Amino acid sequence: MAALVAGLPSGCFHCAEVLPAQAPTVAVDGVTRAFCCDGCAAAALWIRDAGLSQYYRLRRDEARRVSAEEEDFSAWMQPEILAEHAWAVPGGMEIVVLSAGLRCAACAWLVDQALMRENGVLDVTANAATGRIRLRWNPSAVDLSKLLQRLGALGFAPVLATGTARERTRRREWRRDVLRLGLAGIGAMQAMMFAEALYLDTAAQMPVATRDFLRWTTLLVSTPVVFIAGWPFIAGLLRGLRERSATMDVLAGASILLAYFASVVETLRGGGQVWFDASVMFVFLLLTARQLEQWARRRATLCVDALAQRRPVFAQREEGDGTLTRIATAKIRVGDVLRVDAGDSVPADGVLLDAQAALDEALLTGEALPVLRRRGDPIAAGSNCCERPLRLRVVRVGGDTRLAQLVRLLEQAQTQRPRLARAADRAARQFANGVLIAAVLVFGAWWWWQPARAFEVVLALLVISCPCALALALPAALAAATDALARRGVLVVRADAVEVLAAVDTLILDKTGTLTDTRLARDTVQTFGGMTCDEVLAIAASLQGDATHPLAAAFRAAAASGPELPRVASGTGQGTGPIAEPGAAEQAQIPCGLRPGLGIEGCVGGRHYRLGRADFAAARDDDGAVWLGDGQTALARFSVEQQLRANAAAAVATLQQLNISIEISTGDSAEAAAAVAGQLGINCWRARQTPEDKLARAQALQRAGHVVSMLGDGINDAPVLAGASVSFAFADGAALTHRAADLVLTGNALAGVAHSIAVARRTRRIVRQNLVWAATYNVVALPFAALGWVAPWLAALGMAGSSLFVVLNALRLSRSHT
Amino acid sequence: MTILLLLVPLAVLLLAAAVAAFVWAVRHGQFDDLDTPALAPLLEDAAPPLQRHAD
Repeated sequence: MAALVAGLPSGCFHCAEVLPAQAPTVAVDGVTRAFCCDGCAAAALWIRDAGLSQYYRLRRDEARRVSAEEEDFSAWMQPEILAEHAWAVPGGMEIVVLSAGLRCAACAWLVDQALMRENGVLDVTANAATGRIRLRWNPSAVDLSKLLQRLGALGFAPVLATGTARERTRRREWRRDVLRLGLAGIGAMQAMMFAEALYLDTAAQMPVATRDFLRWTTLLVSTPVVFIAGWPFIAGLLRGLRERSATMDVLAGASILLAYFASVVETLRGGGQVWFDASVMFVFLLLTARQLEQWARRRATLCVDALAQRRPVFAQREEGDGTLTRIATAKIRVGDVLRVDAGDSVPADGVLLDAQAALDEALLTGEALPVLRRRGDPIAAGSNCCERPLRLRVVRVGGDTRLAQLVRLLEQAQTQRPRLARAADRAARQFANGVLIAAVLVFGAWWWWQPARAFEVVLALLVISCPCALALALPAALAAATDALARRGVLVVRADAVEVLAAVDTLILDKTGTLTDTRLARDTVQTFGGMTCDEVLAIAASLQGDATHPLAAAFRAAAASGPELPRVASGTGQGTGPIAEPGAAEQAQIPCGLRPGLGIEGCVGGRHYRLGRADFAAARDDDGAVWLGDGQTALARFSVEQQLRANAAAAVATLQQLNISIEISTGDSAEAAAAVAGQLGINCWRARQTPEDKLARAQALQRAGHVVSMLGDGINDAPVLAGASVSFAFADGAALTHRAADLVLTGNALAGVAHSIAVARRTRRIVRQNLVWAATYNVVALPFAALGWVAPWLAALGMAGSSLFVVLNALRLSRSHT
Repeated sequence: MTILLLLVPLAVLLLAAAVAAFVWAVRHGQFDDLDTPALAPLLEDAAPPLQRHAD
């Protein structure tokens, strides 16, 4: 059985990615397993030899692909980085790092075990829920970079956390919240016990001394619950009073304090009844609902933190004598000569010093394919260097760069975004007004009829109309909705995102990277010289190796989607040989190379190939397509095009069914935009848009009364994401967009937008039902309370019952609908 | 019902003890990770943490 599994590998045993023609193998637990690359194989080998292979049995998610090249973590050892991210503890230092690969409890266990084996490690706590690894080490016994390398080699490549101060605040807040909730739970249950004793005295036979003893004890137990656990509500009340706005917080805080102080007064003067239990139950129920909502959102924020992929950022400055020095990006000065490695992003605006260079500006401008820059051309910070290292002279730094301008635009847009009135706050205002008017009328009536009981009855009335269910209505529904969305790969980052989303009527879409991918159309591959389509694709993918630009990714994807992968004879030199034969990699590398602006050449299976422009690869005239050849004769022609994402059409159709009007706004050319809009049936599109244009368009729509949502992935979209009423970013988009967006989409992206809007609308419906129910309950209870007929136990039962109804109604949201 | 004079303060004392224990647990990070420890019973501890001092 096991041998059968190993004989028919469906994907890499470690990361489940597609297997190459010659997959390296490792025997794990007595079964031979195949791996996609040497990196994964080495990780599995290490895990097996460390005796940790039960990880593979216990994990729920596949690991991430392990890069075959060892990442260099020496930059982490720089004093500036350590000063900001690590702190001293007894016996050594402590640092918190993030890892996007930390997905399940088994991963956390593996990280713990792996790092504890290293000398000089004092303590490790990996937390899969937060994606964080807390590491305590002794700097004199081991280098931090060695430990981080171990993490990287297992597929948990660490990235910088958000800084010591924020990490510590985060932990302090979490503990404070758990403490409050625990205290409220323990205290409220105990206060209920004593209140029960008082309730059971239905015939009022209890001696006054016993009754007062029990009341004073309840007072003792309730006080910390109200003032420590219930502090967020009291603080909300004070804030609301200062700002003179009647919000739900004011209502909740006022009710808690009212029930508490009314009970204190009745205890002191030996009055008819006390409501300590109502006060503490309110604190406990409301705190639970709020914490659930906050924790659901906090989980989302933590995931987004890991997506930002913060690494120590250094630039390489070329000194007068040609040597390179690593300097912090803050130390770059105008006039410096910098070197940027392939795959790195450009740290400052400058002019190119090399003859030519290819730059990926997709995130900055929306241009899909790498652009060619020549000597003296300007290069913008934030663009990615493709293919090979480049040199540039800095002309602008810091706040003057294009990137910094976009960040300023983003911040400005964020302050100007229109606010929607929250339904719950409106309900709270109406409710508070209604209850106050009723209280005045009732007090007047009793004063006229039976002045001795007036105070007592009005107090009872105010406590019984305690709007517990009303206050629960919103947080309970939001918690359920946030959770339901997270399960579908939509992370809700900002608090009122779901509410605003329900009101959205216009959606602006970016084109490049959002609606389209750079894709190689398999069915348009032409081959010459008798090779099959799959063979030429495999060769092309091998030549591209691990390059990161969109075209290389397109070749890899096309090769991987083939029905069966062709066998390329002998080692390919791209890390696909068995792990035992590292020599294979060396043969192929000598003639390999990138020819900027032309293509790439190298050896696959002993033959020399060129891939790129027609004149370079096959000695023909350039026709815009990508050719594979040996420099003289052509072997294949690939046409590369912007293709719609697989689910784009379906997602757009679903959105249109939801009565959302859709616009395309792109930095790309008019033809490209028109083609995509035509294919999707979208009437409105704008091409060649700068970030400022996009933002202006969104704001114009908002002024016209529309609630505008935006979906984008590039740095050029960040300002409009911040300015839209509610916005979506992609998990694999630029880090700046995560900062600007309210929701982050992982996985099957476009479908997530329609799904979120549908869930948001259902949430709005359920919140409304809840508000109506809660108000009805109070309206019915009010007359009885006004007549002085409601016993405290009945009031408590009614309150708990209506709250339960509201919570159960909200939970309907987490039941999966499609 | 004089026994209440003993039992009620006793209950309050126990309550105080429970709260103190809870506060101690939270402050010592017992609630920081609510997911990973669920896996602990399933694992045979391949390498007891002490082993690293030996090598």
